[in-house]
Amino acid sequence: MQIHKYDTVIVGAGGAGMRAAIESTQRSRTAVLTKLYPTRSHTGAAQGGMCAALANVEEDNWEWHTFDTVKGGDYLVDQDAAEIMCKEAVDAVLDLEKMGLPFSRTEQGRIDQRRFGGHTRNHGEAAVRRSCYAADRTGHMILQTLFQNCVKHGVEFFNEFYVLDLLINDGKTAGVVAYELATGEIHVFQAKSVVFASGGTGKFFKVTSNAHTLTGDGQALVYRRGLPLEDMEFFQFHPTGIWRMGILLTEGARGEGGILRNKDGERFMERYAPVMKDLASRDVCSRAIYTEIREGRGCGPDGDHVYLDLTHLPPEQLDAKLPDITEFARTYLGIEPYTDPIPIQPTAHYAMGGIPTNVQGEVLRNNTDVVPGLYAAGEVACVSVHGANRLGTNSLLDINVFGKRAGIAAADYAQTVEHTELPENPAEKVVAIIEGLRDSEGTESVAQIRKELQETMDTNAMVYRTGETLKQAVADIAGLRERYKHVAIQDKGQRYNTDLLEAVELGNLLDLAEVLAVSALAREESRGGHYREDFPTRDDVKFMQHTMAYQEVAADGTTSIRLDYKPVVTTRYQPMERKY
Amino acid sequence: MSTPTVEKHSAALDAAEVGGVKLITVTLRIRRFNPEELPDPVWVDYQLEMDPKERVLDALNKVKWEQDGTLTYRRSCAHGICGSDAMRINGRNRLACKTLIKDVNPEQPITIEAIKGLTVLKDLIVDMDPFFQAYKDVMPFLITSGNEPTRERLQTAEDRERFDDTTKCILCAACTSSCPVFWNDGQYFGPAAIVNAHRFIFDSRDEGAEQRLEILNDREGVWRCRTTFNCSEACPRGIEVTKAIQEVKRALVTRRF
Amino acid sequence: MAADTNETLVVPSVHAHTGQGLGTGNPADAFVVEPPRARTKKTPRRTRTNFEMLAWLFMRLSGVLLVVLILGHLLIMLVLDGGVSKINFAFVAGRWASPFWQGWDLLMLWLAMLHGSNGMRTVINDYAEKDSTRLWLKTLMGAATVFTVLLGTLVIFTFDPNI
Repeated sequence: MQIHKYDTVIVGAGGAGMRAAIESTQRSRTAVLTKLYPTRSHTGAAQGGMCAALANVEEDNWEWHTFDTVKGGDYLVDQDAAEIMCKEAVDAVLDLEKMGLPFSRTEQGRIDQRRFGGHTRNHGEAAVRRSCYAADRTGHMILQTLFQNCVKHGVEFFNEFYVLDLLINDGKTAGVVAYELATGEIHVFQAKSVVFASGGTGKFFKVTSNAHTLTGDGQALVYRRGLPLEDMEFFQFHPTGIWRMGILLTEGARGEGGILRNKDGERFMERYAPVMKDLASRDVCSRAIYTEIREGRGCGPDGDHVYLDLTHLPPEQLDAKLPDITEFARTYLGIEPYTDPIPIQPTAHYAMGGIPTNVQGEVLRNNTDVVPGLYAAGEVACVSVHGANRLGTNSLLDINVFGKRAGIAAADYAQTVEHTELPENPAEKVVAIIEGLRDSEGTESVAQIRKELQETMDTNAMVYRTGETLKQAVADIAGLRERYKHVAIQDKGQRYNTDLLEAVELGNLLDLAEVLAVSALAREESRGGHYREDFPTRDDVKFMQHTMAYQEVAADGTTSIRLDYKPVVTTRYQPMERKY
Repeated sequence: MSTPTVEKHSAALDAAEVGGVKLITVTLRIRRFNPEELPDPVWVDYQLEMDPKERVLDALNKVKWEQDGTLTYRRSCAHGICGSDAMRINGRNRLACKTLIKDVNPEQPITIEAIKGLTVLKDLIVDMDPFFQAYKDVMPFLITSGNEPTRERLQTAEDRERFDDTTKCILCAACTSSCPVFWNDGQYFGPAAIVNAHRFIFDSRDEGAEQRLEILNDREGVWRCRTTFNCSEACPRGIEVTKAIQEVKRALVTRRF
Repeated sequence: MAADTNETLVVPSVHAHTGQGLGTGNPADAFVVEPPRARTKKTPRRTRTNFEMLAWLFMRLSGVLLVVLILGHLLIMLVLDGGVSKINFAFVAGRWASPFWQGWDLLMLWLAMLHGSNGMRTVINDYAEKDSTRLWLKTLMGAATVFTVLLGTLVIFTFDPNI
């Protein structure tokens, strides 16, 4: 075991982690622990853009953006946080440009902007061009630009270090415990402040745009330390994933004029969202697609998908604005998007919920108090600026605005305090997990349990949910958790034991899937990404509040989930009916 | 004409049908190396039933999840934008997640090995540190002087287009590890580092081009390129790598960029 | 480029990696083949000269010139005035009496030798794995080049038609 001492430790090197690292490295001694090389992070998969009211191409202001964010989140958004994000969006985009990000440009040489789902002018009048983009590679460019600036500032990375535990002593953050993949060695990082930026948890769904590595590691280990998880039932399903594979096709495709069509060639979104049509928010589009499929208007022999039609757009426009997604269609489907529509289906995309934080990125211990020295930003966190449904492009905004804030806050905090003593045997828990898996004599297979988990989640907890399906999901997950206790791995080695890694990740997924299902079962209403067929309307009286899920450990070691609720912060906008 | 060939193929491939999808039997011949167990690499064959439209990465996953959990490789996004899974498939550098089984001659065993020129640590995992070191050595970040403007720096669409090709790089190392010069001399900057230098040298906002050119004027710099075009062929993002290297050479000679 | 799998050991998957192999203790000690000359934080020793660029340019320019010189040389020696049959001591003596042909041959000698040896230098750089091998090969080649160039130059300028 090795012990390292830093001021600030950042867990995860995607957009939020690197944005935080750029700030915190300039202010305190910082280490970034990441289970992947930084440029492998899934920020790079984001395509469409990053919204900010720059007003480069048409009139716009941040207040309209705030309204769209609040409305998009079905009024579950904490409005003070949304205001901060939309106001600071402008600087976040300009910061990135100054760091070197190669945005697409207008005739005048300014940053070009395009339309995006749910972004409107003057509180819903019409679609507005607000999304700043670099072709359909905005996330890739952000990730590369941030990594380039980390190189510039000499950020210290620990690549392929998998963080397995958070150390809290006396209520204060003491550090983290990490497992070095290359050698199998345990490293304890003592730190004054810790920032979690470890990303999402989409891998408990089968059809998902998420990477294999997005297994909710940060959420799970914080949750197991008795801290709450907020709004985990809200998961976004992106309307346009490649059929069966789930690979993301950007909303920018519809921003450029792409149209969703059913098997009759009808532009069905006109029926669901008369004003915004194909650019309605993602939950609306995803439900519309599933409704079409259920009512027998889906395409293909099984009627299980619809089409994204780009054929009416000029090939030059596709080449210039959507080069990557057209290539995906060619590579993975063998389809030429110039002439053929692309088969798509909704794909699990983004966790709105996560580790609750305030607007400084400080992690909440309960509804009001923070854990000193603990921060979170990005998809792992829930500020909550996304509420019940995240607006397209706002995730790239989230990581930049709150990544920066968390980085600054963590470094500033680290300068004001001394290190907290490490608990005795800091790595005890991690060693127990690792050795337990390595020495397990069980017969269950990681891949099999994961497959069954994904199947039950896809069947029971996806776009349409009912009390019955959610109960089924809870029961299935409980069974799988029981079986997970007897899971065994084949690779017993020390060096790059990815078999072991996948087993640990599955444990995280199981815990988080359970939180999702239990939270969703308790929320007897439909709001944003959470749609209950047995409770199809929004219930602002009972459920205009955030779910807070805590893990309770009984004396005999069994765990259960305790749900609590936290009020939503409302400043300017009172809940209204949500129409697009 | 083509119909009989297709029939012959599918018959030879021992076709099975599951859920409307024709499965074929595929043999993966993987070069395994685990120094904890054997000092030398060995080739191991795995047979599996696959839909030919699936990716090579899906086949690797299937081996790892159903047959041999010790098989080790890097992967993340699974659709060609994270750059984790560059490997040599049938002797050519490709991303496993961007290569479909049907495109790599599945009638024969598909050979899979780690990319060349970097230390193999286990199975398909190589030490990426020398690769990233070369990247860091070309100063891959925007260098400017003077006060920052309050708004964005202006750049015309043409100026933006000038370096568009090289902004696509995902640092997967497929190009660098396909370069014969790099195979024998790891101190050569390699195509990927030069591509990333190119991305800034030709960015109209950047003022560090002279410094970067001076770095690449080094003994181990662009002049070691033999224009074998392996890199352009290997690039999963379709970057014209050799052209970018030639443009850097030209910029060094003419000092115009 | 296709991997030659015929000579390699193919073992059935059941035998490979049972998890109870030869390795013990710290895996970092295990045997690994390092590729030659890996780049580390310390390796980049900047050379700060234009030598490589000039060498690269020289190869292109000398190549163009050599095409003219060599084709001209071949034309005179092998085709014009009865081809090879005309070549004898007197023919060579006659040509080297003129400073023009002396210059032509001198230029051809220098450019061809430098072009060739620079090419060999890059081949050695590409293929020699050890720094010491590299140094020795390059020293040998340099000596051979210097010797040939000097000897040739000496002959061109001290050629005596009366011996």
